[in-house]
Amino acid sequence: MHGRADRCQFCLRGLWLSSFLGACMGAGASPMQDYMLYCMGCHGAQAQGVPGKVPPLAHALSRFMRTAEGRDYVLRVPGASSSPLTDAQLADVLNWVAATFDAPERPADRVQSFTAAEVTRSRHSPLASVLSTRTAVIKSLAASGQAPSVQY
Amino acid sequence: MDKSTVPLARASRVIGNRGHTRRDFSAHCRICETRCSGSHHRLTIAAGGTLMRTFLARIPFSTLLIGTAVSATTTVAPLAAAASQVPTAILVAAANAPQASASVPPPLPAEHLTVNKLGPASPHWIYVLDEAVANEIDTRLLLFDGDTYRRLGQIGTGFLPSVNLSPDHRTTVVATTYFARGGHGTRTDVVEFNDNSTLGKSGEIVIPPKHAQTLPTLFGVAYSSDGRFLYVPYVTPAASFGVLDPAKKSVIAEIDTAGCVLVIPSGPNRVGSICESGRLLTVTLDASGHEASRASSEPFFDADRDPIFVQGMPTADGYAFVSFLGEVHEVDFSRAQPAFRTPWSLVAATDKGAWRPGGEQVGSIHRALGRLYVQMHRGGEGTHKDGGTEIWVFDLKTHQRIARWPTETKQTGTVLAVQVSQDSAPILFAAYENGDIGVLDALTGRVKHIEQHFSQTPWQMLNP
Amino acid sequence: MHSLDRVFENSTRALAKRTSRRSLLATLGRMLTGAALLPLLPIERGARAATAEGGQTPAPGDASQACEYWKYCAIDGYLCSCCGGSSSSCPPGTQPSPITWIGTCHNPADKRDYIVSYNDCCGKVSCGNCFCNRNEGERPMYRLSRNNDVNWCMANTESDYHCSVSVILGVAEK
Repeated sequence: MHGRADRCQFCLRGLWLSSFLGACMGAGASPMQDYMLYCMGCHGAQAQGVPGKVPPLAHALSRFMRTAEGRDYVLRVPGASSSPLTDAQLADVLNWVAATFDAPERPADRVQSFTAAEVTRSRHSPLASVLSTRTAVIKSLAASGQAPSVQY
Repeated sequence: MDKSTVPLARASRVIGNRGHTRRDFSAHCRICETRCSGSHHRLTIAAGGTLMRTFLARIPFSTLLIGTAVSATTTVAPLAAAASQVPTAILVAAANAPQASASVPPPLPAEHLTVNKLGPASPHWIYVLDEAVANEIDTRLLLFDGDTYRRLGQIGTGFLPSVNLSPDHRTTVVATTYFARGGHGTRTDVVEFNDNSTLGKSGEIVIPPKHAQTLPTLFGVAYSSDGRFLYVPYVTPAASFGVLDPAKKSVIAEIDTAGCVLVIPSGPNRVGSICESGRLLTVTLDASGHEASRASSEPFFDADRDPIFVQGMPTADGYAFVSFLGEVHEVDFSRAQPAFRTPWSLVAATDKGAWRPGGEQVGSIHRALGRLYVQMHRGGEGTHKDGGTEIWVFDLKTHQRIARWPTETKQTGTVLAVQVSQDSAPILFAAYENGDIGVLDALTGRVKHIEQHFSQTPWQMLNP
Repeated sequence: MHSLDRVFENSTRALAKRTSRRSLLATLGRMLTGAALLPLLPIERGARAATAEGGQTPAPGDASQACEYWKYCAIDGYLCSCCGGSSSSCPPGTQPSPITWIGTCHNPADKRDYIVSYNDCCGKVSCGNCFCNRNEGERPMYRLSRNNDVNWCMANTESDYHCSVSVILGVAEK
């Protein structure tokens, strides 16, 4: 996972003159293709979101993954919960996004990857109110370490 | 009668509309043939308070009145016309004008400019929403009389509107977007109320610029059954909906639907939204319009294999949804939780996938007769927006097809939308690809009339 | 490397037989170089304008002005290639939508399935030229990422819709 992340970090830095898809082929095309087909349309090629409209995954996803509450939130947001991806595919794509767009700089900050079983346990109870849950989760993450930004 | 002629110097000056004159030598005054010694004159009165334009030559008038609108028509000799320009609006009474001879009709009476009001609505009226795709900021709702084939008026509906009617049908509500500079500029989303007796705007609520900008369905703006609440779906692309107070003209709340879309109202305080998984989310509101509770159904259709069109048709106790492959999903919304009847098929097993429903407004139900009318076409995957080459009619009790009406599509193109009137001599309106509207006898399928060039892209119809 | 094997198998069979993995990666990168990374932020797009393959609007009669063009298998709206843009560039003065819907279309010329991004170009009134609505794989609004009725300009400040592009993102693996 970390190795793949290295390759993708490289490919992202040198990105603008080479194809996203071509350069990242070796890093795991399947989760990347799933990201393109099922997530990228709204979250963007750099997982940057759209200010005020779509939350970013970059500099955010791994931070949510630090706590059980944050992980549960991520698996229950509409884009994950309602996604046509299987539980295993969803776990793979989330792990890929975290490694690609929010890889921790210090090894000590690495987060546990999602497993298909964990996805199965959480995703089938969709959240009632996404925004208020997000705010509450971020607040509690901020109290214990790195947290995504509340505003987007 | 005064037989003296009016000297040209005192004659009314000719003032045309917007300051230019117009001469019409084609009209012929037989009075003047006998009395005007070969010279003719023409009076043209512009309505609405604008200056009257007259050509006066030698006119044997007995009375010259100011302030009474009159018109008389005769022809004018060029020289006389040129000399007869007068600055003021002098209106000539025809009251004592030359009497009609046996062969010449009397002059037309004065007219008063008024604004039409609509009479009591007929069940054969139809609202046609013109999506105006080539100029999408300028959509409009057109009112048409299916008996007299007259256009009765229109309501402007902005950009990618949603339209619906109040429970008492006295108000047409429109949720839409306007940009400050027409085609660009600050976006304002607004819910506008229109009085159905005048087609005039009667109020508005400015909402957050989040109105779901999409093609029209009945679920893009909708009232609660008692008219107390108004719901508007938001997509930003995050999904939620607004709860509005139509009486106070205010926004009450925004309710997150976690990806489920549209607002299907039921009862006084329930809102249904369709979820990606095929489930129906039902949010129940408290007396103030805020969320009291929510519940999700089991998936009621297969969103992967046979998705339903979102253009639901009102039934006696809820809505019916047709699927891409022709399954009819009737949903009873009358109780606290929606109840899903066993789906039944529009097509025989052998035809499944070959004949499909399609278009922009797929199907219409006559509730009292218990009939479903739906446009059908031959086609495969990707043809769900193709219009129909036939209209099939079903009995809602027996689920049997009772009629099959091929539509002649050479001139009009296929049928994109259908809507049946709810009376006992019903009309089925068909909106065609080319913008024409068909008026069919809904009992026999006979095409009574095709209103040509009615609109650009008529993609939704409602019974006013 | 498992997924790289799958890529070889499905789209680059001949190449895989002849080259090592490392050079294949480079070759693939070169083959797909120039395909824009989408959706690009405006600033990146502007920086690439001088070399952008989409900078020129096509000549009349170009294949990309026809609704049947393979890339348009699920497009809905006016073709930007008829409006001063191209199938992969917005007309002058319009703003690309940052959100888009992404589909897969089959290219009969090379028999591959490509992932394409249907961005809208926004901020001006309807182009009005070359209307095209195809719906392969399109789904109603509750499958928002597969819906082309909804206005994909919705997240733009000036969200009126002008035209649509169809940009290749890459080859779809099976």
